[in-house]
Amino acid sequence: MTTALRTTGLTVRYRRRRALHDCSLALPAGRVAALVGPNGAGKTTLLHTVAGLLAPDAGEVAVAGEVAFMAQDKPLYDTFTVAETLTFGRRLNPGWDDAYATARLAGLGIPPDRRVSRLSGGQQTQVALTVALARRPDLLVLDEPLADLDPLARHDVMRSLMVAVAERPLTVLISSHVVADLRDTCDWLIVLNQGRVQVSGDIDDLLAEHLVLTGPAGSAGGPAGARVVESSLTDRRTRLLVRGAPAPDPRWSARPADLEELVMAYLRSPEAAALPAPRGVSA
Amino acid sequence: MIWLTWRQHRAQILVTAALLAVLGLLLLGSAVEARLHVAGHAPPGCPGPAPACWDLARALADRHDAVYTVFGWMPIVAPALIGAFWGAPLLGREYERGTHKLAWTQAVSVRRWLAVKLALLGALAATAGLALSAMVSLWRPVLGREDRFGNIGVFNMVGVAPAVWWLYAFMLGAAAGALLRRTLPAMAVVVAGVAVTTFTLFGLSDHYAEPVRTVLSGTTVPPDPDARLVGAAWVDPAGRELARPPEGVCPHPPDTGRSDRNQQTYERCLFGKGYRYALYAHPPSRFWRFQWTEAALLTAASLALAGLTARRTLRRGA
Amino acid sequence: MMIEFHLDRGSGVATYLQLVHQVKRALRLGTLRPGDRLPTAREVVDALAINPNTVLKAYRELEREGLVEGRPGLGTFVQRSIGGARLADHTALRRSLEAWVRQARAAGLDRDDMETLFAMAVAGSPREGTA
Repeated sequence: MTTALRTTGLTVRYRRRRALHDCSLALPAGRVAALVGPNGAGKTTLLHTVAGLLAPDAGEVAVAGEVAFMAQDKPLYDTFTVAETLTFGRRLNPGWDDAYATARLAGLGIPPDRRVSRLSGGQQTQVALTVALARRPDLLVLDEPLADLDPLARHDVMRSLMVAVAERPLTVLISSHVVADLRDTCDWLIVLNQGRVQVSGDIDDLLAEHLVLTGPAGSAGGPAGARVVESSLTDRRTRLLVRGAPAPDPRWSARPADLEELVMAYLRSPEAAALPAPRGVSA
Repeated sequence: MIWLTWRQHRAQILVTAALLAVLGLLLLGSAVEARLHVAGHAPPGCPGPAPACWDLARALADRHDAVYTVFGWMPIVAPALIGAFWGAPLLGREYERGTHKLAWTQAVSVRRWLAVKLALLGALAATAGLALSAMVSLWRPVLGREDRFGNIGVFNMVGVAPAVWWLYAFMLGAAAGALLRRTLPAMAVVVAGVAVTTFTLFGLSDHYAEPVRTVLSGTTVPPDPDARLVGAAWVDPAGRELARPPEGVCPHPPDTGRSDRNQQTYERCLFGKGYRYALYAHPPSRFWRFQWTEAALLTAASLALAGLTARRTLRRGA
Repeated sequence: MMIEFHLDRGSGVATYLQLVHQVKRALRLGTLRPGDRLPTAREVVDALAINPNTVLKAYRELEREGLVEGRPGLGTFVQRSIGGARLADHTALRRSLEAWVRQARAAGLDRDDMETLFAMAVAGSPREGTA
């Protein structure tokens, strides 16, 4: 399996504060990866570094092939018409696929002679996405593409993005602070917390190796063999999110963790990490 | 990139072209009217130095002044406008709107994006400045005005001065936009910067060359009205230069009212006692030398500002 | 014959498993038959807004079980049906189940109650349906 994106020991300082600290991750080609983390975790910094807008203070970024980037707030020239925005893409990108771009916007019913400033938020996102896709990139990096869109527009944007992924080989890296947005569309999860990569892996694998255990109060350690990621105590019960299968214990009931629980558990326990063993970084 | 530069900045380019066209029409109209006036009113042998031509000369001067007041501020206003509307938004607006994140993540490198924009718009601004220079240079002789050196305002509107001034103002605006990442503050910096540069160069221009010393007797009026006066001093009969003649050589009653008759009497007395008057001035023949000196200074400053802009833009700092 | 996938987003069942189950149910009901082409990943994605890799994963699972076969460049085709006979042919079983439903209604059970009872009965039986 080839790697579409690899960062090694990435460190970026932002106004003397460390925004990224020793971030190492590898994203296999063809994946749709969710980059999640709380606000201020360094998501935008990581994406800007991958897109080449920021130079890292240490470490490096390696992208296999062409990378296209759609920044937060989907910046476009709002005095341009939609057609002029496509001309912008064509003039600045040798690999531009004009037939694809034109057909994609026609399919979405976005009139080419309309000014960008007069489009809806969802349409602006689609135009920005078209500019990114028509470059025929190998890696598409999207910073909070769904923020400030209504539910219908969110669905349409993700649907058309998924169709683009189905049509040709493309690796996608999407940041979001809302995990629910990405549940059906992403197959790889990267959790960024306080400037560090905390989790990076296949979502199905991650879900398969994490369990939620419920058991008696006063036993925060959990059953024998459990690697506890996060524990929460109520008056009468202990709730644990554990990695790996613990030894069977009649006092504990187990069920699979869902994606949101998994992400929250790691975010609440910044010292825990779930990273691929061979290139694991210090946690 | 050329298309993008044109598309993003065509408003400024077209407005500038339109303003130049309006100014051109104004100057053309003024020149045509002046020609007709000369054809209709000039006594034989005029225009010329003969006293019979004085009325005509005055009429032409009035016509010149009427138009000159329209664009008398041009040497400061035009570069300020170029800097504020061509230069400041170049990067300031991209940062403000976040569109730099769109433009600088395309296949075209940021280096090339910036190089094309600075080069194309800089060249256009300089060309527009040359157009202004050409129009003013064609217009003024028609109205009998050949002076272009002594008056710094005129000097800055002819020759290559407008071209380098406009280029400089554009680069100043671009650099301010790159540093401040905002259009409006960058515009303010341009206006202040152009004003400061104007007065700095005005002060500096005295030192572009060694002034020529001319010793006058009988008058303190410079022989060439278009010369740039740098300094003056009295020379005593022994040949020494004095800031002011010693007390008691001639009675020097204070001037009363607006008349300078007392001053003239005093000077006549000094000349009568063998004093002479030394003038330090740059003669109008140094026009091109001064033009090229100013051009070199402003071009160097423009290149430095372009370098600063590039450094700031390409560093990719957060 | 074509299958229309749908998603139950609140079920907690992995999306690819939902697709697998739906294909299997269609095979049992006879709405999908050997030789039928499954929708392409792009078609499913366009309808459901899900990751195409999820569709491919479901098809791989079905292929692993020998139910479908991917033919490069052509699509994914149904290889065989499930069950010796089509469910619609099990008239006797269906009759007795209908009788049971009538009894349950008479006893005051609603639809949810019946489905829960049915699920309990299926889960309690020694034959497992799916992995």
